Amino acid sequence: MALTDYVRDMRGCSRCSSCKWVPFNQVKSWRNAMNCPAITRFNFHAYSGSGKMNMGLSHLQGRSELTEGAADIIYHCQLCGACEVSCKVYRDDIDLTDVLLELRATCVEEGQLMVEHMAMLDFLKRDDNPLGEPKSTRGDWTEGLGLKDINREPADVMFHAGCRFSYDPDLREIVRGTARLLQSSGAVVGVAGGEESCCGGRVYELGYRGEAANYAEDMLSRVKASGATTLVTGCSDCYAHFKYAYPRIGKELPVEVLHVTEYLDRAITEGRLRLRDSVPMKVTYHDPCHLGRMSEPFICDWEGDKLLRPMSLKRTGKGGIYDPPRRVLSSIPGVRLEEMERIREYSWCCGAGGGVLECDPEFAAWTAGERLQEAISTGAEAMVTACPWCERLFKDAAGESGLDLPVYDITQIVLRSTGTR
Amino acid sequence: MKPEELQKLPPEVYKELEEVVGPENISEEPALLDGYAWQPTFNSSPDLWVPRCAAAVLPGSTEEVQAVVRICNKHNILYKAHSTGWGTFNAVKAGGIVLDMRRMNRIVEIDEKNMYAVVEPYVSGISLQAELLSRGLNCHMIGAGCGASLLASATSGVGDGWDGISMSYSPRNVLGVEWVLPDGELLQMGSLGSHGTWFSGDGPGPSLRGAMRGWCGAFGGLGVFTRVAVKIFNWPANGDHRSEGLMFDYLPPLPENLKVFMVVFRDRGSFAEGMYKIGEAEIGYIQCRNALGMILGGALPRFQRKLPGVPAMVEMLKSMQFCLTHIIAANSPRELAYQEKALRAIALDSEAFVLDMGQLPLGGLLFWGLVKDSLPPLIFRIGGQFSSVFGHDETWDSSILLNRVGQEIKQKWIDRDGMIDDLADNAWMFLQEDGMWTHCEELILYDPREEKHVRSVNNAIAEAMISAVEHCQGPGFMLLNPMVRRMLSPMMSHYNFWTKKLKKEFDPLGLSDDVAYCSEEDVEEADIDLENMTFDIPPEELARIFEERISVIPAPREMAQ
Ligand SMILES: Cc1cc2nc3c(=O)[nH]c(=O)nc-3n(C[C@H](O)[C@H](O)[C@@H](O)COP(=O)(O)OP(=O)(O)OC[C@H]3O[C@@H](n4cnc5c(N)ncnc54)[C@H](O)[C@@H]3O)c2cc1C
Ligand code: SF4
Ligand code: SF4
Repeated sequence: MALTDYVRDMRGCSRCSSCKWVPFNQVKSWRNAMNCPAITRFNFHAYSGSGKMNMGLSHLQGRSELTEGAADIIYHCQLCGACEVSCKVYRDDIDLTDVLLELRATCVEEGQLMVEHMAMLDFLKRDDNPLGEPKSTRGDWTEGLGLKDINREPADVMFHAGCRFSYDPDLREIVRGTARLLQSSGAVVGVAGGEESCCGGRVYELGYRGEAANYAEDMLSRVKASGATTLVTGCSDCYAHFKYAYPRIGKELPVEVLHVTEYLDRAITEGRLRLRDSVPMKVTYHDPCHLGRMSEPFICDWEGDKLLRPMSLKRTGKGGIYDPPRRVLSSIPGVRLEEMERIREYSWCCGAGGGVLECDPEFAAWTAGERLQEAISTGAEAMVTACPWCERLFKDAAGESGLDLPVYDITQIVLRSTGTR
Repeated sequence: MKPEELQKLPPEVYKELEEVVGPENISEEPALLDGYAWQPTFNSSPDLWVPRCAAAVLPGSTEEVQAVVRICNKHNILYKAHSTGWGTFNAVKAGGIVLDMRRMNRIVEIDEKNMYAVVEPYVSGISLQAELLSRGLNCHMIGAGCGASLLASATSGVGDGWDGISMSYSPRNVLGVEWVLPDGELLQMGSLGSHGTWFSGDGPGPSLRGAMRGWCGAFGGLGVFTRVAVKIFNWPANGDHRSEGLMFDYLPPLPENLKVFMVVFRDRGSFAEGMYKIGEAEIGYIQCRNALGMILGGALPRFQRKLPGVPAMVEMLKSMQFCLTHIIAANSPRELAYQEKALRAIALDSEAFVLDMGQLPLGGLLFWGLVKDSLPPLIFRIGGQFSSVFGHDETWDSSILLNRVGQEIKQKWIDRDGMIDDLADNAWMFLQEDGMWTHCEELILYDPREEKHVRSVNNAIAEAMISAVEHCQGPGFMLLNPMVRRMLSPMMSHYNFWTKKLKKEFDPLGLSDDVAYCSEEDVEEADIDLENMTFDIPPEELARIFEERISVIPAPREMAQ
C-alpha cells in the first residue's frame, strides 16, 4: 500500500474533530477529555489525526511540499491510534492509522528523515537494537534462569524479551521474574538469548519498510526453526507488531502469539499458577496502546468501498487486549483496581511510541506526565502497566517532575502473590 | 494594496506576532496551514479546500488576542478567529491570518447558584457537560455535536440543538461577554461591563447582543470573542451513568427521573397537531423528530444503500415517517408520572402510539446519545458529508410547511442520482422554548468525493432557497456565499446592506474578515456573475427563475455607504 491508496480516506475527512477527543460518550471530565497527545501539546490542527491527513492530501495534490517542517509535524505523533478509535466511532471508510503510517513511509521515500531516527537506525544496523547496546550482551538477562536455548533445545513456549527488556538494567528483574512465572506455570520455556533481535516494530512505524521486512523475516525464521507452538512476549510493542504489522507485510508467525498478560490469565484460570499471598495495594492500570487498540490483529486488506467492508475487518480498537490484565489483577488477593477516566480503547498514551521518545523526549515526558496526573487523581498507590516502554518512560517522567507514584509491571505483582522468589 | 492581495506576511509582521504568542504558537508552514484550508462542510467547491491563510496564530489569553488584532490593524492584515474551526465560514480570505483559539480552553467559572458557566472559546459542549452533570446541572448543546464550542454558537454562529424545547438556543443563553472588538479594544458586555459579574447579557451595562450576532451570527466578521457566560440548566438526576462501549455498545441505564419515548404519528397533520399540544403542555426536556434518513444513514448505512431497491420496505418505513423521540425530565416521581400521563393523553388524542424506549435495549443508547449530543457526527457515516437547506427558526406551521417542500425538492435530486437516497426524509425538527418557536432543516446526505453529488447539492440548495422565499419563508441561515446574499438581498429588504453599515461602525478598516457575514461583494453594484457559480441550472434559466419569482426591491446604493 502507498499514500495514494488512501486518497479516498483523506478526502472523506469531514473535519469534525472527533479524533481530538475521547469518544464523546466516554468523556468524564474537562481535564481528561482529550485523547491525542500531539494536538493537545502543540495545538495547531495539523498535529491532529485529521490535520495529518489534510497534510497528506495537500502533498499528493501538489499544494504543499513535504518540507522539514512538515515531516517534523508528521513525526510528532506517537502513532498511538487514539485518533483512529474516535474517528471510527462515526466512520467506516477512514483508516487513519494507515494514513499516518503511509505518510511516514512517504517521508522516508522522499528523504525527509529525522536525525534522531537515523541514529537509531544506525544502532539497529550495528547491533540489532535501537538502544545502541552491544549485540553480544543481549542475552545476559537470562543468566542462571535455566531457560532453554531455542536454537538448540526444544521448548513449547518461546519467550521474546524484546529490546527494552533485554537491555534496561532497571527492568531486568521484571523480565527475569516474567520468565520465572512462565516456568512456574509448567511451561518449557525457550529463548533466543543473544540471537534474539529487534522485532522491527519501531522501524516499521518510522516508515522504513525494507528494514522492517528484514527484521520480520529474521524473526519468522527463528520462530519456525524453534518448533515452539506458542510465542509469548512481555513487550506490548513487539506484541502489536507480531499481531498486526507482520501479517500485513506477509510475515505472519506460524504460532500462537500471546502477550504475557494473556498467558498469565490462562494459567491462573486453568489453575497452573496459584496466587496465594495477599498484595494489599490500591492500583490503577494503564492500558499500553500497543497492547490495547494497536494490537488488533490484521486479517486482510479490503479493496473497494470501505463502507461495505465487513465489521470484522474494521479496526475499532475493540479487538485489543483489555480484559486479561484486568482479570489477572482482580485475581490477586488484596489488589484493588481503581480505573482512570481514559481506559481501554480510549486510553491516553504513555508518550513513548512512534519514535517520539527518540526525537522529542520532552514531548514524550510531557505525555507521560499527563497520564501520571490522571493516575494520581484516582487515589491509587501505584500504577501498573504491561509494557517496558511505558514503564521506563513513566518512571523517568515521575522522577523528573517529582510526581510520586510507583510504577509496576503487572508481572511484578503477580510474582509477589505467587510467592516465587 | 488590498489586504487580500497579500501573498506572505512581511517578516517584521511575523516577528511582531511571534513576540506576542511565542514562536511555538505561530506558523506559516504551508502544509500546516492547509490543515485550516480543508473545510469540506458547506463547501460548494468540488475540491473542498478554502483559501490558505498567510499564517496561523494560537493566542493564549485575551491580552494576546488584543495584541494580535492591533498588529493586524497596524499593518492592514485581514484576520478571522475560530473556536473548533469547522465549516467553510471559518475560511479567511487569502492574505489573512487565522486565530485558532484552541489554547483558550478553560472553564473559568461554574456558578451553581446563579446557574451560569463562564467559558473560553475552546470549551466544548461535552467537556462542560461532564463537569455539570455531577452537580445536577446541564447545558444547551448544538446539533453540530458536543465537540463544538459553546462560545462559538453563543456569540458567532447559529445555536440550535434538540434540547431547545427546555434549554432554548445559544443566542438566548448568552449572558456576559468579553469581546475584543475589530480594532483591538476590549468590550465587556452586559453586567460584566458595569459590575464585573457575568449574570446578565443585557444591562445594567451595554446590551449589544443584537449587534453582536443578530439571529444567525457574524461568523467571525466582528472581532474576537474571548469569554462568555452561558446559562446552565437543571439536570434532575444524580450525575451520570457509566458503562463500557463507545457508541452502539454504550448502553448505560437511564436515570430515575428521566424517561425516553418514541411517539409515532399517523401522518404529517396529526404530527403537527400533536407537537403543538406537547409544547403547550410544557413536558419536554429533549426532543427531535426521527428522520428516517438520519437513523438509517447513521445506524444502518449498508441497509440504507440497498433499501431503494426494495419498494415494499420503503413504503413500510415511510409509514413511520412522523415519529418523535421525546425525553421527559422531572424533579420527582410524581411529576414524572404526570408528564408521562400528559404525553400519552396527547398521543391518544392525535392517534399516535407511544413506545417507552427505556424498556428496549437501544433506549439507553438513544437517551444518552441525545443527552450527551454524541450522535450528530453519525451523519457523516454513509457518505462522508451533509448539507442543509432552510435552517430556520420559525413557527411550527412554517416548519411543517418546509418539511413538505423540502422532501419534494430533495426527491427530485435523488431521482437524478444527485445525492444519497435517504428516502427524502431528513428533516431535523424540534420545538424551542416549549413550542414558542421551532426549528426545521432539511438535511442532504452526499459524498463529496462524487463530483455529481457536489454539483446537485448546490442546485438543490439554490432551489430550496428560492422555494423558501416563494413560500414566504426566510432562506435559512446558510447565507455564507456573498453571491447568494446578493441574489437574495432584494427579497429581504437588503438586510445585508444594513449589516454592512453596522459592521463599518465596528470595523472601519474592514479587517475582521466578513466573507461569511456581509462582505464588500454583497454591496458591489456589478451584475451577479452567474457564470462563476457552480449551479448546474443554466445561468439564463436561473436568472429567469429569479426574475419571474422574485419581486425585486430596488437597492438604494446609499444604504451601503
Ligand atoms: C457539520 C456542521 C453541523 C452544524 N450543525 C449545527 C447545528 O445543528 N446547530 C447549530 O446551531 N449550528 C450548527 N452548525 C454551525 C455551528 O453553529 C457553528 O459551526 C459553530 O457555532 C459551532 O462551533 P465551532 O466550535 O465549530 O465553531 P467554529 O467553527 O470555530 O466557528 C464558527 C464561526 O464562528 C466564528 N467564531 C468562532 N469562534 C469565534 C471567536 N472566538 N471569536 C470570533 N468568531 C468566532 C468563526 O469565525 C466561524 O465563522 C454546524 C456546523 C457544522 C460544520
Ligand atoms: S474524526 Fe475522522 S472524519 Fe472527523 S476530523 Fe478526525 S479524521 Fe476527519
Ligand atoms: S496516533 Fe496518537 S499522537 Fe498520533 S495523531 Fe493520532 S492520537 Fe495523536
